[in-house]
Amino acid sequence: MAETLTKPHDEEPLIEGNQTYASLTETVAGVVQRQKDHPKAWFVAFVLGFGLVNVLLLSITYLVYMGIGIWGNNQPVAWSFDIINFVWWIGIGHAGTLISAILLLMRQEWRTSINRFAEAMTIFAVMCAGMYPLLHTGRPWVAYWLLPYPNILAMWPQPRSPLVWDVFAVSTYMTVSILFWYTGLVPDLATLRDRVKNRFAKVLAGMGSLGWRGSAKHWMRYEQAYIILAGLSTPLVLSVHTIVSFDFAVSILPGWQATIFPPYFVAGAVYAGFAMVLTFMIPMRRWYRIEHLVTMNHIDWMAKIMLTTGLIVFYGYIVEVFYAWYSANPYEQFMMWNRWHGPYAPAYWLLILCNGVIPQLLWSKKNRRNLKLVFAVSLVVSLGMWLERFIIIPVSLHRDFLPSSWGMYYPTIWDFGMFFGTIGFFVMMMFLFVRFIPMISIFEVRELWSRIRPQRAEVKEVEA
Amino acid sequence: MEETKTQTGLDIEEIRRRLRGERGQRYWRSLEEVAETPEFQQFLEDEFPNRSSLLDLDRRSFLKVMGASLALAGLSGCRFLPKEKIVPYVKAPEEVVPGKPTYYATAMPFAGSSIGLIAKAVMGRPIKLEGNESHPWSLGASDVFSQAAILTLYDPDRGTTVKNRGFVATWEEFLAEARKVLPQAKGVRLVVGDAASPTLERQLAEFQKVYPGAKIVRHDPVSRTNALEGAKIALGREALPVHDFSKARVVLAVDADFLASMPGSVRYAREFAGTRRVDEKNQSLSRLYCVEPAPTPTGILADHRLPIAQADLEGFLQHVAYLVGAASQPGAANLAPESFWNGLAKDLRSAGAQAAVVVGDACTPAAHALAIAIQAKLGSVGSTVRYVAAPRPRSDLRLSALLEELESGAADAVLFLQANPVYSSGLGERLAKAIGKAKLSACFDLYETETAAACMWYLPAPHFLEDWSDARALDGTVSIVQPLVEPLHDTLSVHSLLPALMNRPSEPLAEVRKTWSVDDKTWRTWLNEGVSSVPKAAEVPVPPTLQVPAGGARRVDGFEVAIRPDPTVWDGTFANNGWLQELPKPFTKLTWDNAVHLSFSAAESLKVSNGDVVRVTLGERSVEGPAWILPGLAKNTVLLHLGYGRRAGGRVAEGAGFDVYPLTSEDSPWGGVGARVEKTGKRAVLASAQMHFSMEGRDIVRMGTMEEYRRNPSLKPEHAHGEAPRDLTLYSDEEKRREQEGVQQWGMAIDLNLCMGCNACVTACQAENNIPVVGKDQVQRGRDMHWIRIDHYYGPRAGDGSGDNPTHVVQPINCMQCENAPCEPVCPVAATVHSHEGLNQMVYNRCVGTRYCSNNCPYKVRRFNYLNYQFAQKNFDRKEDIPLLKLLNNPDVTVRGRGVMEKCTYCVQRINAARIEAKKKGRDIRDGEVVTACQQACPSQAIVFGDMSDPNSRVSQIKRNQRNYALLGELNTRPRTTYLARVTNPNPEIEA
Amino acid sequence: MARLFSPVANTIARASLVAAVALPVGAIVMGSVVSRSPANTNVGVAFEQPVPFSHAHHSIELGIDCRYCHTSVTKSSSAGIPSTETCMSCHSQIWTDSPLLEPVRQSWAEGKPIRFASTGEVGWNRVAKVPEFVYFNHSIHIARGIQCNECHGNIQEQHMTAKGKPFFMKWCLDCHRKPEKALYVDEQQPALTPQEKVFAFYRKIQEGAKLSARELALKKGRDYQPSTEELRKGQELVQQLNIKVKTLADCSICHR
Repeated sequence: MAETLTKPHDEEPLIEGNQTYASLTETVAGVVQRQKDHPKAWFVAFVLGFGLVNVLLLSITYLVYMGIGIWGNNQPVAWSFDIINFVWWIGIGHAGTLISAILLLMRQEWRTSINRFAEAMTIFAVMCAGMYPLLHTGRPWVAYWLLPYPNILAMWPQPRSPLVWDVFAVSTYMTVSILFWYTGLVPDLATLRDRVKNRFAKVLAGMGSLGWRGSAKHWMRYEQAYIILAGLSTPLVLSVHTIVSFDFAVSILPGWQATIFPPYFVAGAVYAGFAMVLTFMIPMRRWYRIEHLVTMNHIDWMAKIMLTTGLIVFYGYIVEVFYAWYSANPYEQFMMWNRWHGPYAPAYWLLILCNGVIPQLLWSKKNRRNLKLVFAVSLVVSLGMWLERFIIIPVSLHRDFLPSSWGMYYPTIWDFGMFFGTIGFFVMMMFLFVRFIPMISIFEVRELWSRIRPQRAEVKEVEA
Repeated sequence: MEETKTQTGLDIEEIRRRLRGERGQRYWRSLEEVAETPEFQQFLEDEFPNRSSLLDLDRRSFLKVMGASLALAGLSGCRFLPKEKIVPYVKAPEEVVPGKPTYYATAMPFAGSSIGLIAKAVMGRPIKLEGNESHPWSLGASDVFSQAAILTLYDPDRGTTVKNRGFVATWEEFLAEARKVLPQAKGVRLVVGDAASPTLERQLAEFQKVYPGAKIVRHDPVSRTNALEGAKIALGREALPVHDFSKARVVLAVDADFLASMPGSVRYAREFAGTRRVDEKNQSLSRLYCVEPAPTPTGILADHRLPIAQADLEGFLQHVAYLVGAASQPGAANLAPESFWNGLAKDLRSAGAQAAVVVGDACTPAAHALAIAIQAKLGSVGSTVRYVAAPRPRSDLRLSALLEELESGAADAVLFLQANPVYSSGLGERLAKAIGKAKLSACFDLYETETAAACMWYLPAPHFLEDWSDARALDGTVSIVQPLVEPLHDTLSVHSLLPALMNRPSEPLAEVRKTWSVDDKTWRTWLNEGVSSVPKAAEVPVPPTLQVPAGGARRVDGFEVAIRPDPTVWDGTFANNGWLQELPKPFTKLTWDNAVHLSFSAAESLKVSNGDVVRVTLGERSVEGPAWILPGLAKNTVLLHLGYGRRAGGRVAEGAGFDVYPLTSEDSPWGGVGARVEKTGKRAVLASAQMHFSMEGRDIVRMGTMEEYRRNPSLKPEHAHGEAPRDLTLYSDEEKRREQEGVQQWGMAIDLNLCMGCNACVTACQAENNIPVVGKDQVQRGRDMHWIRIDHYYGPRAGDGSGDNPTHVVQPINCMQCENAPCEPVCPVAATVHSHEGLNQMVYNRCVGTRYCSNNCPYKVRRFNYLNYQFAQKNFDRKEDIPLLKLLNNPDVTVRGRGVMEKCTYCVQRINAARIEAKKKGRDIRDGEVVTACQQACPSQAIVFGDMSDPNSRVSQIKRNQRNYALLGELNTRPRTTYLARVTNPNPEIEA
Repeated sequence: MARLFSPVANTIARASLVAAVALPVGAIVMGSVVSRSPANTNVGVAFEQPVPFSHAHHSIELGIDCRYCHTSVTKSSSAGIPSTETCMSCHSQIWTDSPLLEPVRQSWAEGKPIRFASTGEVGWNRVAKVPEFVYFNHSIHIARGIQCNECHGNIQEQHMTAKGKPFFMKWCLDCHRKPEKALYVDEQQPALTPQEKVFAFYRKIQEGAKLSARELALKKGRDYQPSTEELRKGQELVQQLNIKVKTLADCSICHR
């Protein structure tokens, strides 16, 4: 039996089993190299995703052809699924950025085996999110008017509108995330280039790796670039969702106009993000036999972060209630009353259950290491975060100042078509990613191993 | 006039060809470029040129509607300029200046009366109807029907050609046939509608000379027979009351909606409003008592409202007569509490000549007689009311008699002139069968109605804007009905039809002038004024003391059915008018449907809720319809509206609502007692434009009694915040002040004391601003497009435990043009921004459609084109419908495409037009030179618009009234539209 | 192991980096250039017309006033296109058998609008047009003394009519923000009202009177940069005419 060796300050190792550099590389790169033996689950998931992507394409086509009217939106509820999903997806993206940037700067070594995966999630999530602001406009073909460009109209975007801030926030976020992800990918692509037999794949990997030779100079440049990008994207973790929350915070609508929104949205984003990472990681590590790289510790730590951010979010809910009462503003108070007793009250209480109550299970270490349970909780949290946006957007809108204009909102199949469509897109992209790109940063794992490996192991390797 | 016609000749020719089925866009291009109006060019470019073809694949009706509507490329920004043509005149008409509207006076015949109108035409297309200030029964204002009539002109469903048994025929064929049959017909019968046209009367008389034995049957579903009979009882002669509320200090309205739906209501509303204006100086209000089975707009303004069953009204009046000493024995004293009787009687007696008692057409003849007696006793005859001879003779023959004659064969030639008894009478199917027996049967009407379907011949009638005629108003004032366009379809004027039947072909104009043989000069002034100098109807003298037979209360067992014309489609005449179908009805805000209206307690006892389909049985006839709870109904009264359940007569009309006529009969057109109501278990979906009717204790509509007003003139509730302090903002007001300096500042004030929610403003706005009709499904989804809406709220009424008699308040809401508009900072593309004149501008062509502005609007007055609504009139899905509907558009207002936000901008097109004319004269716009569409239509002048920067403008003066308040002012939006709190004037002696 | 890429690959890589930036930028630049060029704006592009009508001939050589044909230019939003009758008022007397005028005579004879002899298309090809959602009003501009040439270029010199200015919103705003740029008094006949001045201008051209620098620019349809002195005078005019400059650039002035 292979005795496991540990880092001094840690009771359990970040990489389990008796590994060698070769074995590590083999585990990860092998996934990409051996295209033949992928688990059945991969095909199931991919087909599912692909099917939903077709639903998405259909929904979009019909939407652009007919107009927003195919959705359930109306007066007074002019925003609903479109913006809910936008905010939800943007939130999900945040785990990636947090892991890659902040944990890197904090020298959290456990990030090593999940950052590549989480960053990929970020990119695909932002892609999904990006669709909505564009498609939810009544005339998407003129949405480019939101960009500042010199024109014959002498017209510019209206800088006081948070929607314009969104354009910059989201596009910056997208750009930086891609750069960050790709930079980290370069050395691994080089590894693939050198390992794969198939010429076509070789050329692709070769182009992707930009002639990486692993020289000391390359490594030096790489380290500099990587740390700079980390520095760049660190503020983004906070700024992006802060700005998204401004879409609501700057308005005058009871239930939107709240100063707590920025921190509470950011926390919620990280919360949702880690939930999604877990949702994917837990099955993946099994299917691709990488339990020794994504260990129980990783699950445990991610669960802890989820618990923490979850508590912040829950605090947010409590503050909303407090201020509704404290403001002594009848409209604010009614807004709260309506959430509790109004026609959409079930959604509110389900939200409290999902985001407030159930995650408390994660206090116990036993639960945090119970894969099935953590997986379940991660799904519940994703649902909860979606409900949170549902409560904030349509439920605040449907009963505002003048009772005469109160109304109800009922989603149509096309609302769901768009929603599940984007989920499908996300799933499809994730599974394409794990199939064609090393889902764990090979060289970072090796580098980590170099620091925590046992001496004897090294000796062995020298002999070998 | 004639010139206009020659110049529109081109258009009309084109339309004719179009309607004969020629397809293709090129023709429309040429027509539209004759009218060199920008928006028309717009239609030429299509955002998705292949759309219509794509659409043909789809079957869903709304998609088809989409197919009907061309997308508006005009709104979608820059593109390579398309080649276009300008088609000049061959011979330019003199008085038409391209790009300038022309105005003609005309009149709209309606419900046995008429209202004087001014029609606005652009390049020969009539596009808007307004009230005629010089017409005594319009005074410049109008009502929903006269506002919406213009849409009927362009209605694609109107009859276009003569038909014989459903096959296309010609007028010649019909006339030949008629000339053959009529002479040797056993009995010739003419069934005429409710038109009050002297020329028609003259021709009918002549017709009876030519065809001796020919009989005239007059069929008007909403008849004033009871009033006439009542006068006969009291005065020995048939007569109609003409009121003057300007002199009235106390008004008792008995089931009389004299402010909104009675003939003459437009003038009455103005007169009554004159007695309801309150400010520091004038604090004497008139007092209005309203006794009615079903709530009416008039009831909304009542100081005392008493819901009483229709059957009890006679007994009620009897007791009033008794109390004022006009009758010897008491009536149904149990109907009201002691204090009410005393208060009312005291008020009436003290008011004396200044008291008015107005009785609705649904009341029994006896009730009308009592009212006359009461007024005679009070001495108010001649001051608040006078009685005039009926505008036209009564029927020679009752409809039921005609039916028997037809069945027996005694009558074998029958002609229906704008009358549709097969639908609009209780005889329905039986009559249809009987008509089949006749040797010659023809139906002359705007639409191919149910009656047309029963007749051999259908004869298309012209719209009143296509035809010469004349019409009498309530008091007999004669106006000339002047056409604005040549007939769009192959129609023949009734004034030419009758002569043709008498073998002496003639032109309508000649016929009308023959009736009034006056010289051209007088004639021209008549046309110009819209009112003739013909003497009005003769007055019927009232003896100082008159005795009338005592009226008594009938016992109400079980339910009572009250049948009334519908507030929007009337008796069914307007059933195919999309604007009226989609117009939210007062109180219920229902659209596209009628309903079985039940009181709270009735609904409770029957355990029905809104939408449950119930069966209403009266005698042996019964109808089924969805229930809708209407607080304010008398406990056991079931209110039903006519005009729905059309089986023919247009794609819009058909299938909407359910038919109530089966429950009517010639003797009881207004329903009756002893009805049964039972649940069927079925459910129906109704589309209501408002879902929540309680103010939730918010400071929305401010109101109070006279005493409260004296104590606290602002009527601001203690708990309410009121307007936010001006210094609230971090930025100084200095900047705003500088922006507004030296520029006219537009503002609006709406006096809630005068608004009874008659909807005239809503329809006027729809007509002025090219507002689309979206159909029932979309209304139900909460996507109605009206720029101005009438909010309706119920409140508890002291001493009303059951909730059967709540207080009603209405509040017209349009865009408030906030100075701190929440919509403006959130628009990402600056599509809605503030003008220096204080307008919250909406630039449609810049709008991207994020809808953020609507979310941030606390008044929710913004409307979004969720789908391509233009011309999406329910079911108008044929390609050839669209060009016809396009002719209706106001060229000065952009036609909004799909995906664009829209809203009220105080009729900025009118402001701009006025500004340009003023600037050319080198001055500013004067007060009253800009009148918004809603303001113009408002019968009670509740809406006032003008320049706030001028302290002497009317709007500034009104805004200085202490009752003036800003809606949701605590949000510091600083709305430019403000409201005057409502003051009621209840009798202190009556404890509710 | 065999070499995967030839040395040229490096160059290609670098080149593609440059292209990645250059191509999009180039595309955008091209786009804006084209959209501002006559290809899009039709400035100076003369369309074929049913009759080769020459503004130069009629307005200057014959000295017919603009308003003779464009009757509503001082009254209404639209300037008005002359009816066949207007043409025939002279051409029933002169050039009565000119083949060029056949379409006019035909229109008059048939009582149908003028059409292309070749294709049979009805009407004239539209030269100057603002977008559908712009509500332009000729009369107020004339009343303020804005010369036709300000927007229509050297119209009185054109034999084949072509669009004079691109009608960009930016270009409209240029005047609406600084009306003093376009307002001036004719020094030779200062008594004229702004509107009279507009039409007097063409009489001057016809009589060959001496033109100021500004008038020359207008005549040629060239842009003119007024001197500070002229701008000051312009401002005075703005005052006199009581033009509320700040409202001129409000959206609802042109869009509703």
